[in-house]
Amino acid sequence: MTDKVHLRTPVKIYAAGWVDAELIVTDSSLIIGKQKISLGEIEDLEDVDVDGIKCIQIKKEGNIIVQLPKNLHPQVFKYIAFNLKADKFAVYFLSSATVGGVVSSSAQWEKGYFSVTDEGLWFLSTKNQKRIPIDNLGSIKKDMRDVGGKQRMVLVLSHVEKSDVVTSLVLCPESTLEMLDNYLQRLFAKHKPAIKLSENETQILTLIYSGVDFVSIENIIGISTDELNDYYDRLVDAGLAKVVKIRKEIELTPRGVSMVDKISKG
Amino acid sequence: MTKVLIVDDTAFMRKLLKSILFGAGFDIAGEAENGKQAVELYKGLKPDVVTMDVVMPEMTGIDALKNIKAFDKDAKVVMCTAIGQETIVKTAIKLGARGYIIKPFQAPKVIEEIKKVVGE
Repeated sequence: MTDKVHLRTPVKIYAAGWVDAELIVTDSSLIIGKQKISLGEIEDLEDVDVDGIKCIQIKKEGNIIVQLPKNLHPQVFKYIAFNLKADKFAVYFLSSATVGGVVSSSAQWEKGYFSVTDEGLWFLSTKNQKRIPIDNLGSIKKDMRDVGGKQRMVLVLSHVEKSDVVTSLVLCPESTLEMLDNYLQRLFAKHKPAIKLSENETQILTLIYSGVDFVSIENIIGISTDELNDYYDRLVDAGLAKVVKIRKEIELTPRGVSMVDKISKG
Repeated sequence: MTKVLIVDDTAFMRKLLKSILFGAGFDIAGEAENGKQAVELYKGLKPDVVTMDVVMPEMTGIDALKNIKAFDKDAKVVMCTAIGQETIVKTAIKLGARGYIIKPFQAPKVIEEIKKVVGE
């Protein structure tokens, strides 16, 4: 029996530079150039930015980065996401119920499928294909929530999205929820970085997340600028933070001091 | 200037909220490290808004909220809690809390929530 072809389009593949190719999407596979990839082989996929261009990274043994025509990107992404090598569970999902510590009024329950790959959690619906990388997960907890006027047990996922800590909720039958919770806790523990932070480091991380400036951080923690710089270095070395700006410290030259003297004398 | 009473049992969280709110132009009327102190300070200071931690020694944030609301039914209290304590927060909302923020929080979102509650 021959595979039904759903789509045929020119694409570019990234391999130390862009290479033109053709993508053929069929019932059971993707054919990219001369390479045939069975959909069952695809372990995960992700939207990535290469040279400022939005691409799809297909994760399998040997990842492939594909640049599609803009109008076809969402359609192909959705098709692959729904056909990933992972079990799917029917769920209701409340995406970004809280953002940055505040309840999001626009969040709404959506019906779809939840699936888990080795590197990410997926919520799939006709409108939405949301991927939460395991590395972005902060915690997984079961909790009772009011859903449509009834108290229901849900899975609360705390994760990072565009530099915000957000919580998303998963609602499904309790037996599925129990199984998902156990599985996710094990996966989460496996991915958890083995970094032990001191109390000061934990507090500095929290302050940076909250958007507190460095002078206030020094005051709140009660440390000097040099000590704060040492903490920053440790957080950067641990991969928990990145340098975005190196601040300049200056002192006045005699000419500068003389200028201040003139200013103060009016 | 809007007067805020900050209630949290950890000095670090009080300092963090103080830094965020002071930086946004709020007047920090006072700080309390438990619910009992919060109720006493509320009666004396009459702040425009209270940020209230939920889990605290001596008197919880929920009990402090009840006491404050019994003293001043128009009191504006914003509950401040950790992820996973939202069920308690629901109780607080029923008891008259005007809003809630969940730790960890970001300064602009906290300021927005407090301004919304005080009607600025």
